[in-house]
Amino acid sequence: MRKIALLFAVSVLVAGLAAPAMADIKVGIMVPTTGSEATYGKDMENAVKMAVDELNAKGGVLGQKFTTFTADDGCDPQMATAAASKITSAGVDAVVGGYCSGATLPTLKIYADAGIPFVITAANSSKFSDMNPGNAFLVNAIGSYQVETAVALFKKMGVKKLAIVHQGDGYSEDLASLTQKKWKESGNEVVAYELVNKGEQDQSALVTRLKSKNPDMVFWTAYYADGGLLIKQLRQGGYKGKIAVGDGSTDAKLLQIGGKATEGVYALANPLPEFLTTGKKFIADYKAKFKTDPGPYSALTYDGMMLLADAIKRAGSADKKAVTAALKKTDKFPGLSGPVSFTDKNLLATSNFVVLLVKDGKWSLSK
Amino acid sequence: MDTLDIISQQIANSLILGSFYALVALGYSMVYGIIKLLNFAHGDVYMVGAFIGFTLLSLLSGFLGDGWLGISAAVVLSMIATGFLGVVIQRIAYRPLLSAPRLSILITAMGVSLVLFNAVMAATFGEYKAFETGLDFEGVDFGSIHISHTQIVLVLATALLMTGLTLFINRTIYGKAMRAISIDMDACRLMGIDVNKIIALTFFVGSALAAAAGVMAGVYYGSIHFFMGFIIGLKAFTAAVFGGIGIIPGAMLGGLLLGALESFGTQMPWIGTEWKDVFSFGLLILILVFKPNGLMGRNEIERM
Repeated sequence: MRKIALLFAVSVLVAGLAAPAMADIKVGIMVPTTGSEATYGKDMENAVKMAVDELNAKGGVLGQKFTTFTADDGCDPQMATAAASKITSAGVDAVVGGYCSGATLPTLKIYADAGIPFVITAANSSKFSDMNPGNAFLVNAIGSYQVETAVALFKKMGVKKLAIVHQGDGYSEDLASLTQKKWKESGNEVVAYELVNKGEQDQSALVTRLKSKNPDMVFWTAYYADGGLLIKQLRQGGYKGKIAVGDGSTDAKLLQIGGKATEGVYALANPLPEFLTTGKKFIADYKAKFKTDPGPYSALTYDGMMLLADAIKRAGSADKKAVTAALKKTDKFPGLSGPVSFTDKNLLATSNFVVLLVKDGKWSLSK
Repeated sequence: MDTLDIISQQIANSLILGSFYALVALGYSMVYGIIKLLNFAHGDVYMVGAFIGFTLLSLLSGFLGDGWLGISAAVVLSMIATGFLGVVIQRIAYRPLLSAPRLSILITAMGVSLVLFNAVMAATFGEYKAFETGLDFEGVDFGSIHISHTQIVLVLATALLMTGLTLFINRTIYGKAMRAISIDMDACRLMGIDVNKIIALTFFVGSALAAAAGVMAGVYYGSIHFFMGFIIGLKAFTAAVFGGIGIIPGAMLGGLLLGALESFGTQMPWIGTEWKDVFSFGLLILILVFKPNGLMGRNEIERM
């Protein structure tokens, strides 16, 4: 027995000595891996891991390999702050992720206090521009860019009376209120501005309320799971007008949940890999690795991780301050979803939204 | 849509919503009536029923299609399977505690709820499952009111289940035994009634009704997820208390009235649909304070 204990002690000692002089670069991944947005969260986690594997296969950056550490933010502000503390105390060098704006915003300060650079690859509330303590970088275009694309679409469709429905969380309320403001500014009418509770299955009361206002277009600004339900119930309730959804609903699951009702629905989307000329290889690699299709945020998240690696290379070390400074100086980094540069508030400098349309049960690029 | 149209449409909406609440509330009420347990795992039984139905439908749709035939088969089979789940829960978690203080068994019920909730979360990786069926949105139009065939079938199915249950409770020997146990369990034991078997049967029926509601909700709304049972569990509890907990027709009435309250309450122009839950749970508080025995309850004198 003693012999075994001794052997164990020695092996621990040897393992300690054998550790490489150059430590690995530890990257925290903060995404929702449970709850209603789990699909997106896992897409994003996969995308980071794929980027990391590719980087490591080439020997890493500056001779250092990458490791990852995932924490579940559950798309919930409280869970997210717990996840951020977990990531911070795990001693990461940088963080990639952030899907739900409402859950990501309260973590900014935690990472800022620890001086950790944070590459946000999906969340895009306009509040980031005021609340950014300087260490967060948005690879996704912020909500207000999406609003301009939305208003242009509604005008083109000849919409007069618009109804907007959101869920009261950071992301969807932001998009809804900005759209309402812009739409009114352009001299048009918002006939209904409604809020539904998250996870509410029965939306018949809302459907009747909307129908009584007779809108030409219903714009859903929240996420796919409840969006699918609303679209289905709108059609089931006999609503014949047009429907559009924000980028949080642009997911294959929306089509499954809403079924036939989603035919002809418009969607604003981030540059999805399948519509990108650079996306073909990415999709093929992703499918080969994870046996599933990449989600709408996987290309952006892959870009985010690659951008981080690039910044570390430019900084010459994984030192948190140097990496933050290098990220700030990013100039037209060639990402899959387009060139990445940042404004002085660390927001993506140029819009990257596209308009999609559901045709034969599939998303296709709307002309 | 004029006001009359809106009112008629809301009556239709409230019937659907109320049907789901009533079916789940029945299980609460039956179990409370017989062993005085607030079975807080009942909402999760509803959720598990929906998942069993979902799995069955994906298996059966190959032979029976994903139309009404396949759905009916999935509903019936899920009712049976979930009914047995209810019996197993009763046997493992509640029966050993029947003579323990009421609080112990209530806490056990919460434990069962957590077990079911987390098991399904782990098994489905916390994802939404799309409940895909071959049903369309065809329906009947009266002016600007639209009622889909699916909605009509769901309300009829609920009515059928409730009629069946009423007949079962009032006309069969098992129903008679249930009613007897709810009055005096010890006397029933002395009279030679197999009390444990009847309690198990109560759980079977209650869980089967919840499963029927779960599968129908999945079919109707189009998606299911592991936390779908939480809110409806609380709402059904409200409905059961509203009607008078332990009283079968009370649960049905409570469910339908709660559905109506939510549908109409949120239609007031200055109140949005986000106030739905406030209506339900506000009602629960009011009832518990002013009429704790519910609409159809008798005033009971508790001996201390």
